[in-house]
Amino acid sequence: MAGFIVRRVLLLVPMLLVASLIIFLLLRLGPSDPAMDYLRLSKLPPTPEALEEARLFLGLDRPIAVQYLDWLWRALHLDFGVSYATRRPVLPDLLLFLPATLQLAGLALMLTLGISVPLGMWAARHRDRLPDQIVRLVAFIGVSMPNFWLGFLMVLLFSIELGWLPAMGRGSWMHMIMPASAIAFMSLAINARLLRASMLEVAGQRHVVYARLRGVPEKTVERSHVLRNALLPIITATGMHVGELIGGTLIIESIFGWPGVGRYAVSAIFNRDYPVIQCFTLLMVGIFVLCNLLVDIAYAYADPRIRLSAEGVE
Amino acid sequence: MRLFSTLALAAGILAGALSLASAQERLNFSWPVNVGPLNPHLYTPNQMFAQGMVYEPLVRYREDGTLAPWLATSWEVSDGGRVYTFHLRRGVTFSNGEPFDAGAVVANIEAVLANRSRHAWLELANQIQRAEAIDGHTVRLTLKDPYYPVLEELALPRPFRFIAPSQFVKGGTVDGIKAPIGTGPWTLVETRFGERDLFERNERYWGEKPALKQIEVKVILDPNTRAVAMETGEIDLIYGTDGPISPDTFERFKRMGAFSTGLSRPVETRVFALNTNRGATRDLAVRRAINHAVDKDTMIATVLYGTQRRADTLFAPSVPYADIALKPYAYDPALAARLLDEAGWIAGPDGKRARDGEQLTVELCFVGNDAVMKSMAEIVQGDLARVGIDVSLVGEEESSMLARQRDGRFGMIFNRTWGAPYDPHAFLSSMRVPSHADYQAQLGLPDKAEIDALISEVLVTTDVGARKEIYRDILTRLHEEAVYLPLTFTSTMRVSRPELGPVPFGALASEIPFENIHPEAR
Repeated sequence: MAGFIVRRVLLLVPMLLVASLIIFLLLRLGPSDPAMDYLRLSKLPPTPEALEEARLFLGLDRPIAVQYLDWLWRALHLDFGVSYATRRPVLPDLLLFLPATLQLAGLALMLTLGISVPLGMWAARHRDRLPDQIVRLVAFIGVSMPNFWLGFLMVLLFSIELGWLPAMGRGSWMHMIMPASAIAFMSLAINARLLRASMLEVAGQRHVVYARLRGVPEKTVERSHVLRNALLPIITATGMHVGELIGGTLIIESIFGWPGVGRYAVSAIFNRDYPVIQCFTLLMVGIFVLCNLLVDIAYAYADPRIRLSAEGVE
Repeated sequence: MRLFSTLALAAGILAGALSLASAQERLNFSWPVNVGPLNPHLYTPNQMFAQGMVYEPLVRYREDGTLAPWLATSWEVSDGGRVYTFHLRRGVTFSNGEPFDAGAVVANIEAVLANRSRHAWLELANQIQRAEAIDGHTVRLTLKDPYYPVLEELALPRPFRFIAPSQFVKGGTVDGIKAPIGTGPWTLVETRFGERDLFERNERYWGEKPALKQIEVKVILDPNTRAVAMETGEIDLIYGTDGPISPDTFERFKRMGAFSTGLSRPVETRVFALNTNRGATRDLAVRRAINHAVDKDTMIATVLYGTQRRADTLFAPSVPYADIALKPYAYDPALAARLLDEAGWIAGPDGKRARDGEQLTVELCFVGNDAVMKSMAEIVQGDLARVGIDVSLVGEEESSMLARQRDGRFGMIFNRTWGAPYDPHAFLSSMRVPSHADYQAQLGLPDKAEIDALISEVLVTTDVGARKEIYRDILTRLHEEAVYLPLTFTSTMRVSRPELGPVPFGALASEIPFENIHPEAR
């Protein structure tokens, strides 16, 4: 187990390196010119002298290879440079905003799991009857509706019409309800359907039939024999959902004025703020990989048939 | 210093708590980003509207294009327009109590010039040779040439404004400032990055003190969120030129009736530059026909919900030197068709015109992901198709479009003027520079060299009458040769709560005159 974890964490290093190179090249090989954005943000007329000065000032006048190596060398010392738009160091600002994002994504994850599991069980228990149809409809809406639209609809209803919830900002737990729900809705819908399918599959297996024949109470059968086994795909899916949830914060944070990394990244993308985009991407790669690692560990814990070794999952 | 800022912060928090009781003393505003460290001599991330709240100019730009005394009460021009002597206002202090005097002015101008290359876009930064303090309240600027727009450029929100010299870092402002201490009506008391900035009235202000005590600027990136914040009472004012909310949202607020809405006079002009050096638009008849064929009024009523005004000339008549009664190209598709017929562009069976085997096709370049721009381009495409001109739309990322502006790869291209106080002189000045859409578009004109020479001449013409005549000549030539298809004059949008009372517009698009807001008693 320990060997497995160490190996996976070490694997993070080459992954981050490759990711950094790809994102660095993708940004620079496109037709866009951050110097132009710098002048636009500064409201300066884009004269050739001003452009040249801006490129010099932003360090964009050097060959790409030099820029990359210089950036990499500094990044190894945890210096991810200065944002083009805010002129502030990138990493401290990302870390400043990260807790707010994790708070939002964490609540969204709790909502996802807390609601999708009972919903999935309910649907499976009443297969093809009304509850199942309701869950099917909710799931259908959940996967079809973009989260930003759902966010706006909720604002319209709960903030503007009813005045129950604050429309934006970070403060009390009331501020978190709408953004977290908007982010969670899709993952929740997918999870509920996944659990339903998984439970129905497990419910037909022999050990469940035997348990029923042995006269084990229905509740115990459902909980210990069906649900426990049916949860395995949910754990895998959750690993992916964590990514989706954090990704979901990108747009949702902008809509709800939530001071997190998502909103910071959206304005950076809009302004072609390369240092921020690079650091944000690496941060996300790191979070994804670590989440997947946690999922693998949880998997081994939940299913004794699986053993983790330094070679991988057996 | 630290004691001072701590006290200011404490006062801010206290006042923040008190303001809950009397809401009229505090105004909540929003902006897409934090206002920045407010270095008066640098650009982004410092937001111009906030720099304008804290720092003041020697002379102030007024709505009618004239310049009023501000931190300088009077000035003399000598040596044929090369030497400017300013007499400073007495009794002005910075918000920390430091005196504002000739020494402070010279120190600030020297701090700006120490970073001259960053300000090279502004001719005045290249022109100033020396700044000297003659006595405690007199400053003399010596220029290289008799450059006439000195006062206009001193009035800009940056870089020629003044911070208390005690706040310099390493003897200047290039490497940052200690704290944003200016002479203006507001002081920045708190910044919470990603959340808000808080301004308070400068109790030491030399002029009329603002009625409001505090301005809170919340960071709201998304225009729809800003609209929601207005509706739910999180903010009291929406104000801005670069689409603080979408045109249809503005229209909705207007109809709602619960808010006061307003549009400023023209700020800048949106035009298509027509390339006189490439493709079918080389033909003057085609350029004139395009000008007659586009129904701008319908475009404004539909896509823009009436938030902009029809432009028939490159500059609005309210721009200095531009009120010269040029005859507009009226909307008249029949006339457009006749002009094309006369020029030999004959319509084929499919309605598309051609001449000597050359199809009448024009490439229209715009920023593809700008929804408003895209709709405007599509309307132009439709209007021109009706008179037999085929338009191919080239919607690209902004920097690709700007690259086309620089090297002339376009038939028609979106462009905008720069607004006050850059219009007309700085905008015309840039027409001489090859990397501008205007230069590229004008390159096919037989009198391009003459136009460039006239522009160079007008910038150093100190006689106002002669200057007017040269401007009239340049603008008339450009208009007659139909180098542009003027579309709209953009305006600053304002939505405010009625309790705020009348909210005036700033003379510069980048200014927000918070100090002139006098909330009405409830």
